[in-house]
Amino acid sequence: MYWLPTFSNWAPAAIAAGVAIPSLLLLYFLKLRRREMQVPSTILWKKAVQDLQVNSPFQRLRRNLLLLLQMLILAALLLALSNPITFYKPGATDNTVILIDRSASMNARDAGGLTRLEEAKRRAIELIDTMGRGARAMVIAFDDSAETVQPFSSDLPALKQAISAIQPTDRPSRLKLAYQLADAQMNVNPDEVASAPTQRIFLYSDGRASDQSELSLRGDLRYEPIGDAKSKNIGIVAFSARRNYDRPTEVQIFARLANFGPEPVEADVQLSVSTIDADAPAVDKFEVRQARSSLRLLPERWTEKQREDADALGRGASNSVEFTLELATAGVIKLEQMNRADDVLSQDDTALVVVPPPKVLSVALVTDGNYFLERAVSSLNLQKPQVFAPADWELKRPADVDVILFDRYVPKYMPVSGNYIWFGALPGDLQIKQSKDAQGRGQFLTDVEILDWKRDHAMLRHLSLGKLFVAEALQLDVPLQSEILIEGTAGPLLVMHRENRSTHLVCAFDVLQSNWPLRVSFPLFLHNALQYVAIGADLNVRESFRPGATPKIPRTNLDRAVDGAREITLITSSGSRRLPIPAAGDFAVPSMNQVGLYRFDPIVPQYERLAVNLLDENESNTFPLEKSPGDIGQTVKSDGGRSPLQLWWWILACGGVPLLMIEWWVYTRRVHS
Amino acid sequence: MATQVRQPLLDSAFMARLDQIDILSRKILAGKMKGERRSKRRGQSVEFADYRNYVIGDDLRFIDWNIYARLDRLFLKLFLEEEDLSLHILIDTSKSMDYGNPSKGRYIQQVAAALGYIGLVNYNRVSISAIADGVPATTGAMRGRTRVGQMLDFISNLEPAGPGNLAEACRRFALANRTRGVCVVLSDFFDKNGFENGLRYVAGGRYDLFAIQVLSPQEIDPDLQGDLKLVDVEDADMAEVSITQPLLKKYKNNLNAYCLSLKEFITRRGGTYLFTSTSVPFDTLVLNYLRERGLLG
Repeated sequence: MYWLPTFSNWAPAAIAAGVAIPSLLLLYFLKLRRREMQVPSTILWKKAVQDLQVNSPFQRLRRNLLLLLQMLILAALLLALSNPITFYKPGATDNTVILIDRSASMNARDAGGLTRLEEAKRRAIELIDTMGRGARAMVIAFDDSAETVQPFSSDLPALKQAISAIQPTDRPSRLKLAYQLADAQMNVNPDEVASAPTQRIFLYSDGRASDQSELSLRGDLRYEPIGDAKSKNIGIVAFSARRNYDRPTEVQIFARLANFGPEPVEADVQLSVSTIDADAPAVDKFEVRQARSSLRLLPERWTEKQREDADALGRGASNSVEFTLELATAGVIKLEQMNRADDVLSQDDTALVVVPPPKVLSVALVTDGNYFLERAVSSLNLQKPQVFAPADWELKRPADVDVILFDRYVPKYMPVSGNYIWFGALPGDLQIKQSKDAQGRGQFLTDVEILDWKRDHAMLRHLSLGKLFVAEALQLDVPLQSEILIEGTAGPLLVMHRENRSTHLVCAFDVLQSNWPLRVSFPLFLHNALQYVAIGADLNVRESFRPGATPKIPRTNLDRAVDGAREITLITSSGSRRLPIPAAGDFAVPSMNQVGLYRFDPIVPQYERLAVNLLDENESNTFPLEKSPGDIGQTVKSDGGRSPLQLWWWILACGGVPLLMIEWWVYTRRVHS
Repeated sequence: MATQVRQPLLDSAFMARLDQIDILSRKILAGKMKGERRSKRRGQSVEFADYRNYVIGDDLRFIDWNIYARLDRLFLKLFLEEEDLSLHILIDTSKSMDYGNPSKGRYIQQVAAALGYIGLVNYNRVSISAIADGVPATTGAMRGRTRVGQMLDFISNLEPAGPGNLAEACRRFALANRTRGVCVVLSDFFDKNGFENGLRYVAGGRYDLFAIQVLSPQEIDPDLQGDLKLVDVEDADMAEVSITQPLLKKYKNNLNAYCLSLKEFITRRGGTYLFTSTSVPFDTLVLNYLRERGLLG
């Protein structure tokens, strides 16, 4: 009974009805306070009235016809006020663009048994069936990218086939690209708009796009929300691990869970670990180490007031969990959410983190005397910090050093591979060079302030560098593949550069030529930099990737694993595939669209495992958005491919006018006839 | 009403015209006194009626001696007795008569005055009674032109007031007036208990009934509009009506039916019914209509 109207504005209308109807009746009775008139006898009048009532069964109705008409007018106006909406099923137009969300949240399996993507595909195929002769449609599947899976076509089987072939990913949802693609396809010459065929864009999604504020679309969009608002989902939305700074064998794990269902729930979590054995590095055997139960999770959709009320009743949320475990080797830590009975989305029930073996770095500092660097190196928790004068360095040539810091010195001897940090100096045989003028003299920057820095880089995270001032720095000529970490007002100041098997972190200035050593950020930076350069990751754990990520493996690491090989195998839980290795340059891993653990065969140092986690509140949120994302276009009610017909209110309002005219006619006829 | 009362009920010119008219009765009714009207009874008037055989004890003055001389038999001459006529005029003085323009009350007072005047100047015995829910006032029997003034004063002083009860009024009148005669009832005959109970006392039998129903034009063709609460002037009974064309039509039909049933009731009992509106000049009524209907001649 989809044509039955629903009332989107019923509450004000009910209040108005509560006031207006009694008022009308009151006014009617007031209006009917009859004029008194004396007559010699009422005998004949009474008889006449009685006769009329007896002879005409509708006489009572006729007597109250004015009231009846007024009630009808009022009812029409009140119904109009309640904004009745009825639904109809809009079909495909001459040109139809079908956008199908295939992001992680569309993997949710609602009460009907189908995943949201399957439901979206089903409805899209239904829409294809409504296409008329000569009508065209195209299909775009999107997550955080958009892909035209079927260009404009009138071939219905091909369209259906294209829709059926859309596969889910675990990637986040971004609509901007999809809209841009649709817009580009739908766009017609403005001069031809009048004669252009009707076109419409259908969006099948749960509406959980992360870029709703950036959206714009020129076409006529119909958004059909997919998903059940009552679906329950508990997801891990944050997960991190780090080795204890003082006790490197101890790993601290933090996680936060969220409940996207309608009711408060209690969740159990379980922590398991798979150690990465040096002898059998390709085998993952997870053993349960710890578990926590009865985490109380309040629905994310609750308001602050509801949460405060729950807190007041002692039923507040406890959605964070923390573990500490001993891990003396490298390993993969897995956190699982165990209450999966009603859970509609499995992608966010597991989170993984790869922890390298604990390592105390050995660091060598080559300097002709730098109080701040020496002091910083000695104060860090390092295995055997060694300080060499340049002459000693050339003489002793120490081996087995993780990181070597060169302070204003370019050595004659350098190991074939290694990790280097340069301060105010740069060897001439690297691709990254100091700029030179026409006469071949090195160029310098003077009085440099900080323009910007990569705040989210592992080395610079949480550092405040805004007030750093550099009196003199090398003017660097940075190759394209190098990463500039700190940009000064006159040029780059800190650059990450990889070449051959070595990693170079180039600080363009002598720290003594700056105010950096006096700032808190300096020792923190030094600690992070040593960790990062040596281990390749922040905080003693490997980076966890988002679905869809395409991490770049430095050539340095690749060469250590497969020197000269042309292929490498990427292994996931769902299978493996061989990937060609480019002849030169870094190796970009193909998009990792599914959550889980990835590894290479052979094992790549520092990339023993790649953990891909959802960790996205937006995607874990299985509560479908009722309004179209970005408030663009119209929403079609979710239970049947219908969009609202909101013409009722003025039909009803206009219906009052003829009723008013009838009332006027009846009144005049009664009074003047 | 008060201003109207001060106007003379009858002007002299009209009274002069009335002098030539007498009350007629279809019935030969017995009177109490010798009058100007022939009676069925044989009496002592000069008008010969019949002969009959003499029987002992008869008044010898009425023996026809000429017949005795020729036939040698005694015959008694019989003469028609001339008697007077009783005229009872019943004036409805219930509150409902104070309605209409011209007022029904004033109108029937004028008619009553005219009839009373005719009765008096023709030496009939005239009694005038006000009827409402009883008989609040009555003149008693009057006779002769000398009582005209008294009669007019009585009529002029009648004020419509109070509820009406035709049955009770007629009953009391009939009990108090056993004299045969012409009975003229002037009323609108709107009685919630029905006119039948009342008129039964004065229709047939002793009285030669003339019922004159007087209605105002406003009653015959009501000029009403809108939603009204109609209040009965006599008993404050209320009727809520919304005036519509069908209702007005129904009212008129009902009025016609009511008048027809009244007429039928009266004529079936030997009486005469006359309907009039106060829009008809009362002299026209008296001089034309009443003569046509045989009350006056």
